[in-house]
Amino acid sequence: MEHVATSVDGMELVYERPSTLTDTPMHYCPGCAHGVVHRVLMEVIQEMGIQDRTVGVAPVGCSVFAYNYMNIDMQEAAHGRASAVATGIKRILPDRFVFSYQGDGDLAAIGTGETIHTANRGENILVVFINNAIYGMTGGQMAPTTLLGMVTSTTPYGRESAVMGFPLKITDLVAQLPGAYYVTRQSVHTPTAARKLKKAIRNSLEYQKQNRGTCFIEVVSNCPSGWKMTPRESNEWMEKNMFPFYPPGDLKIPRG
Amino acid sequence: MIAEGAVQAGCRFFAGYPITPATGIFKGMVDMLPAQGGLALSAPDEISAIAYAIGASLRGIKSMTATSGPGWALMTESVQYALMTETPLVITLVQRLGPSTGGATQGAQGDVLFAEYCTSGGYTIPVLCPVNATECYTLTILAFTWAELYRTPVILLTDKEIAMTAERIDDDVLPNMTAQERLTSKSGSAVGTYDFDFPQEIPAFRPVGGLEKVTVTGSAHDKQGRLQKNTPETLEVLKHLEEKIRWRENDFCVVETDLQKGAESLVVSYGVTSRAAAEAVARARADGTKVSFLGIKSLFPVPRRAVARALKGIRTVFVAEENYTGLYRSVLLPLLGGTEVRGINKVGSMITPQEILAALSEPA
Repeated sequence: MEHVATSVDGMELVYERPSTLTDTPMHYCPGCAHGVVHRVLMEVIQEMGIQDRTVGVAPVGCSVFAYNYMNIDMQEAAHGRASAVATGIKRILPDRFVFSYQGDGDLAAIGTGETIHTANRGENILVVFINNAIYGMTGGQMAPTTLLGMVTSTTPYGRESAVMGFPLKITDLVAQLPGAYYVTRQSVHTPTAARKLKKAIRNSLEYQKQNRGTCFIEVVSNCPSGWKMTPRESNEWMEKNMFPFYPPGDLKIPRG
Repeated sequence: MIAEGAVQAGCRFFAGYPITPATGIFKGMVDMLPAQGGLALSAPDEISAIAYAIGASLRGIKSMTATSGPGWALMTESVQYALMTETPLVITLVQRLGPSTGGATQGAQGDVLFAEYCTSGGYTIPVLCPVNATECYTLTILAFTWAELYRTPVILLTDKEIAMTAERIDDDVLPNMTAQERLTSKSGSAVGTYDFDFPQEIPAFRPVGGLEKVTVTGSAHDKQGRLQKNTPETLEVLKHLEEKIRWRENDFCVVETDLQKGAESLVVSYGVTSRAAAEAVARARADGTKVSFLGIKSLFPVPRRAVARALKGIRTVFVAEENYTGLYRSVLLPLLGGTEVRGINKVGSMITPQEILAALSEPA
C-alpha cells in the first residue's frame, strides 16, 4: 500500500481514514465493535487496491447501514440471506472480491441454512460474522449464540439450556465442512486483536483471489447497549465470559 | 394489551422471533406466560415460530405468534398449512412500511391483501383490525374465539402506531370476556380428523397424542386426513374450508357505524387511520357538513351487510388507508356500485384528520 505521510499544521499525519471508508459519522453505539471491524476490513481493501472490484452484502440488523460507511458496492439483503445473495453475485462476477457481513441472529439463526450451504458448496467468498450473543437492533433478545445464564429481554432469568437450548458454535460447524477453506475466530477489543483480524481478512481475500473456497471469520464482539454495560465493562465481560466459550484463534487453516 | 388479551383468552403457548414493531408482544408473552403455566419459546426464525405454534395447537393448546411484514412473508407457508389442517391459531401481524424490509419503525397499512390472500386458492382468513389499546385486548380475545369456534387461523392485523403507542386504559371498564374453549370430539367416537356432513359444518377437534388416531396433512385430504388426489370427498373438504367461513360471514361483522341522516358522503376506514377519520367526521359535522362514518374492524370476511346499510343515500365514498394503492378500497369497490369512490392514501406517516377533511371538501 502506498502511504504518503502528510503534514498537518506542522505535525506529521500518521493515521487517517482509509479512502474506502466514507466520511460519515457511524450510527453505532459508543464502544461497539462494528466500527472497528468496518475500518479494519476497509483498510485491507484499500491496501490491496481492490476498492473498485469489491462487493459487500450486509443484512438487516445493526449493520443495515453498512453501505453508508463502506465506500464500495454494497447490498442490503433480506434477513439471513446475505451469503445467498453473495453467492449469486460471485457466481456471475467470479473475478470480484465478494464478502458478506452478518450478525449472529442473521447468520446463525434465520440464515443457518444459507450459512451452512454456502460453506458446504465452498462458495469463493468471505463471510464476516459478528458474534455479540444478542439481537442488538431489536432491543436485546436472546440470540442463538447467547451464553447459558445470560440475561436478555427474552431470557429475563438467564438462558436455560432445558428451555432455550445451548449457545450455537456455528463457526465450529462451518469448520467441519470440506468447502470451508479458512475458518478463524478473532476479536477487536485491543489493538493487537484488531491487527490479527486485519491479517485474517487479508489472508481470506488473498485466498479468494486463488479460488480456494469459503473463508469464514467470526469476530467475537461486545454489545454495550444490549448487554447494558459501559464499553469498558462489556469488553471485560466479553474476555471473561465469551472467550472461554468462543476462544479466539484459527479453527481451520490451509494445509502446507 | 394484545399479550394481555391473549392470556385472558387462554393462550398458553407463544413462539416468536425478534422483529420491530412486534417484539413487544413477544416480550410480553415471555414475561407473562410462565406464571400461567404456559410457554413462550424463542424461534430461530419466523418459519419455525409459526410451526411451533401450530404443533402446540394440534395438541389442543391455544397458541399465538406475532410478527411484522418481513416475518409474515416467511410465515405464509405455515399459515396455509394451518388453514388446510383446520388448526386454530392466532397470528398478530403488526404492519410496518414495506415492501421487503421496508421501514421497521414506520407504520403502514400495506399488508391488508398480503395477509388475506396469502393462500393458494384465496381462502377467506378472518382478519381483525383494532384501533386502540382497548381493542387490542378485546379483539385478541375475539380472534381466539373465532379460531377455536371455526378451526381456522385468524389474523389480528395491527400496525406500528397501534402496537407501540402507550395508551392509558382503565382496567375496570374492560369488558369481561370469557375464553372460548376448543370444541373437541367425544372420546371413543369413530369419526375421523375432519368429520362433517355438510360443507359448512365445523368438525370437532381431535388432539394429537390422544386416545384416537389422528392424521393431519397439509396435502389435499379426505375427512380422515389422508392424502388424496381429487376424489369427490377431497374436493368436498376443499369446498368446506371456504364454506365454513362464507356460510357464517354475518357472524364475523365487527364495525363502528356512525351514520348521519341526510349525509351524502361516507368515510370508511380501519386501524389507526379510522381514529383520524372519526375525528375528521366530527369536525366536518361541527362545521355543518353532513357526513357518515364506517370504521371496519373485521376486514375479512368483508362485512357486506354493514357496508350496504351505510351506503343508503350516499353519493361519495371516501376510503382512508395508509398505503399508496388503495388495498381495502379495491376490496370494497364491487360493493359500492353507483357511488363515486375516492381514496385518501398516504405512506410514510399517519393520515391526519386535516387531510381527510381536505379530501372531503374537494369538489367532485
